[in-house]
Parts: sequence; C-alpha cells; structure tokens
Amino acid sequence: MAYDDLRSFLDTLEKEGQLLRITDEVLPEPDLAAAANATGRIGENAPALHFDNVKGFTDARIAMNVHGSWANHALALGLPKNTPVKEQVEEFARRWDAFPVAPERREDAPWRENTQEGEDVDLFSVLPLFRLNDGDGGFYLDKAAVVSRDPEDPDDFGKQNVGTYRIQVIGTNRLAFQPVPMHDVAQHLRKAEEKGEDLPIAITLGNDPVMAIVAGMPMAYDQSEYEMAGALRGAPAPIATAPLTGFDVPWGSEVVIEGVIESRKRQIEGPFGEFTGHYSGGRRMPVIRVDRVSYRTNPVFESLYLGMPWTECDYLVGPNTCVPLLKQLRAEFPEVQAVNAMYTHGLMVIISTAKRYGGFAKAVGMRAMTTPHGLGYVAQVILVDEDVDPFNLPQVMWAMSAKVNPKDDVVVIPNLSVLELAPAAQPAGISSKMIIDATTPVAPDVRGNFSTPAKDLPETAEWAARLQRLIAARG
Amino acid sequence: MNPLPVECPRCAFEEISLLATSPVPGVWDVVQCGRCLYTWRTIEPARRTRRDAYPDSFKLTAEDIENAIEVPAVPPLLK
Repeated sequence: MAYDDLRSFLDTLEKEGQLLRITDEVLPEPDLAAAANATGRIGENAPALHFDNVKGFTDARIAMNVHGSWANHALALGLPKNTPVKEQVEEFARRWDAFPVAPERREDAPWRENTQEGEDVDLFSVLPLFRLNDGDGGFYLDKAAVVSRDPEDPDDFGKQNVGTYRIQVIGTNRLAFQPVPMHDVAQHLRKAEEKGEDLPIAITLGNDPVMAIVAGMPMAYDQSEYEMAGALRGAPAPIATAPLTGFDVPWGSEVVIEGVIESRKRQIEGPFGEFTGHYSGGRRMPVIRVDRVSYRTNPVFESLYLGMPWTECDYLVGPNTCVPLLKQLRAEFPEVQAVNAMYTHGLMVIISTAKRYGGFAKAVGMRAMTTPHGLGYVAQVILVDEDVDPFNLPQVMWAMSAKVNPKDDVVVIPNLSVLELAPAAQPAGISSKMIIDATTPVAPDVRGNFSTPAKDLPETAEWAARLQRLIAARG
Repeated sequence: MNPLPVECPRCAFEEISLLATSPVPGVWDVVQCGRCLYTWRTIEPARRTRRDAYPDSFKLTAEDIENAIEVPAVPPLLK
C-alpha cells in the first residue's frame, strides 16, 4: 500500500488504532509538545496524535508523532503494524535494491487550491506554529522535505536534493535555516553564494510517510530521493512542479513554501533541542525570504517532537540509518548479518557478523567507522556473533557480559572525526571511538572457554513462528 | 491585541514587535525580540516569557549575539 499524501496515511493510522484524536481544548504551549514528548514514554506502540482544538486558534489541525512507534513505521512502509523491527529493517533493505524507480508527474496537485504571494505571505495565517522545547529560540518547521537544485547543474534530476533541515520561523515571511556543512543543500548554497546569487528553495510540509523517511536518509549526492521513495513505496512517487521555482515537489504535500536563501546573509538562530538530546544553537545561520505559499484547503500541520530519546525522530531515522550502513558493510563483508544503528542516528551501532577468522569482527567495526556515515557518527561499535540479534538488547547485553575480555576486546582509537553536534566531542567535531568485540573468538584467536555453548534447540525457531501465529490469530 | 511586553526574556532588549495575534481575538499574541529574535507566545509559561523566570542557561547577551559564529561560513566570492 503506497500513500500519496499525509491524509490518506492518517486515515489508515486511525483505522489501525494508531491515531489518537485529542478533541479537548489544549494550550499551544506546552501541551502540544508535551503530549508528543509523552508518546515516547508510554511504550513502543504509541499512536500518532491529532489536535484540532487549540486555545486561541479557530481552524488548527496539527498532526504529531506520525512515525513515532514501530507500529506506525511499519504502516508507513505498508507492512502489518506488528512487524518486528528487525523484519522492518530487512524489508527496507530488500526494497532499497529496486532503486531507482522513476517518479510519476501529476499536475493536479491539491496544494494548488490556495496561494499567498509577495507582500501577502503570512506563515502564521497558514500554519498553527508553536514551540517544542523550553530553550528553543522560537517556533520551528522540523519535518519538512526541502528541495533545492545544484546551481551549476540545475537540470540534473539526481542532484536535485530533498532533505530535512531545521527551520526557525523568524518572521511572517522569513525563516532561519540550518544547512549542516556535510549535507547536500550546503553544497548548493556554497555554489550560489560564491557567485553572489540567491539559492531558490522549496519547503514542503505534511508529506506522505515515505517522503519523510527518504528526506532524512543519508544518500549519495547524485541519487534522487524521489527515485528512492519509489523503491521503498513499491510504486512511483507522485511529484508536481512547484509554481515559483519550477522545482519537483511531492504532489501530495499539505503546504509548499517557495522562496530563496538570501545570498551571503547570516542571522542569529536557535538554540533548538536536537536529536542528540541536547540543545545546539546561538549561531548565525542563513535566512530565507518566502515569496509564495501554496496550500491545501484546511491544511494539516505536521510537526515532530525531538529531545531526549526516544522520540519520533529516533523511529524516523532508525531504519533509514541502519540500511545504508548494512549495504556498505555487506558490499565488502558478506558475513555481516544485521546492523542496528538506531541510537542517536548511529552515534552507536551494533553489528552482528560471522567471523572469517580470528580478529575479523574488529575489522568490521573499523570499517563501520570509515563508511561515509561513519565519518560523522559511529563513535561506538559493538560486534556480536551471527546468532545474536543486534535489535534484541538483552541478547546484546548477554554477549557483552559473557564474551568480552575487556583488556583485549575493547579498543579505543583517539581523535577521530564526528559531527559537531555530538555532545561528548572534544573539541567539537573530534572524538575518540570505541570497538567492543563481543563475538566469540575463532582460530587463530584461541582466548577464553567458549567450546560448549548452549545453543537454542533445533526446534525453537519453528516453535517461535508457531507461537507468533497463534498469538496473532487470537487477536 | 494586548500591550506588547516591555523586554525580551532572553536578552533583556527592549524593542519587541508583534508577529501574530490569535485568530480568536485577545487570547494571545506572538511577539519577537528585535535583537536576538527570540519569539514567544504571550500565554506561554513564565519560564519562557518573563525575564526573572527565564533560565540563566539560555540567556543571551549582546556580546553572545555579536560573537556568534557563522554556520556555514560565507564563502569567498569567485572572481
């Protein structure tokens, strides 16, 4: 099942019992953010939240936590809501192989229904904006799919980027924007600013659930997020032409904001409570002038709470971080079974691998640190055996407690690169990194007393499947 | 519209402007500091709206704002 817009996905979430409509009056602050924050504190299958009775507003519709549970993430991919996490990641990886799937262009986009232009643009009249965390400098758009093009190659569809960046509303028609230097849009901006030109930009809000996943996925510079969305959806991604910039934007967006990043200008931004569970900000960042807003009638404003994990952000960028690492590791080391990179966007990862020979697992750990994503993340790697599920933390803790001889199995490498937002880095951007090898030593590594492991019974896997079937049938 | 707040809770600057008013008249305003751009809704809790209740760890000074680094840095113009 591929969803073409946010609304059809919200309908499915509601039918599946994964959308909670809150109809009592709530305060814009702190209620909206506190409720979304609380979804991460009530167990793994929390619902999305929909608010339509917000104090002082007459016509607000706000959706939060849309991807904020494993059940919702499974439904976003068109899988049954009880699909185990590891299976969701495996299915994600399987669909990845269908990339690229060409998008389908449609010109009857529902966001053409309403328009504000030029002096008439007033974001506050279109969006029920609100603050998330106490220390945030203002109100943010934090779940947008932002489209920009390479100024030197504007007709290259693959180099057209779709990404999620933090965006602070600093005026009725002005935004502050954070392009992290290693992200694609920062390359587009640099090329424009070197020529003294503004960079046109389209910010799309309230998208179908797979667009949000691909917008947050670390992909190569010339790979199209729309072609990846098609692969993950199992159907071409519907796109339309944005009226001012001419960029390709999702057909089903609730709101399309177009304008320019003003060349060579910076203004104070933030702070903003980030996915690391810490604030960052108080820096001077690029600013956007909004020239046109197109929006569906009765738009739904989608926002995402993030702060101390787990929050919706961790579900949203969990599998989409695991899969690129898994693909890159398996390309050289087919022994790698699974990668769990779901902690703080992969600042820590757990990898299960078979061992080619003694010392092999540590090599896999080092390779994880030198993948493109690993250069900015992967500060800690735990290696476990091929029969340990890296998504099953009790199993991982067992492996660490039973298999690790710290003197030989913990390796710390000083002064490696890490993203500047990593709170433990010293200085910002530099960190030591650690490998914990919790695999069973194999020859010629003959350390320890591992010759008689108590394995699962041969019939256990069959029984596990049978029990799951019986439980599912019971409803 | 209610009278504008007199100072920024975050940096104590005294030029505050109006960004938005509640669609239901008189319930709240969204206002903004002219210096640090801190933006708040007038009915938010005191810890976000009043200088004396605003957390010290998030306060900014004129120096902080002036010395804030540029991210990303503006590149040199190509000749």
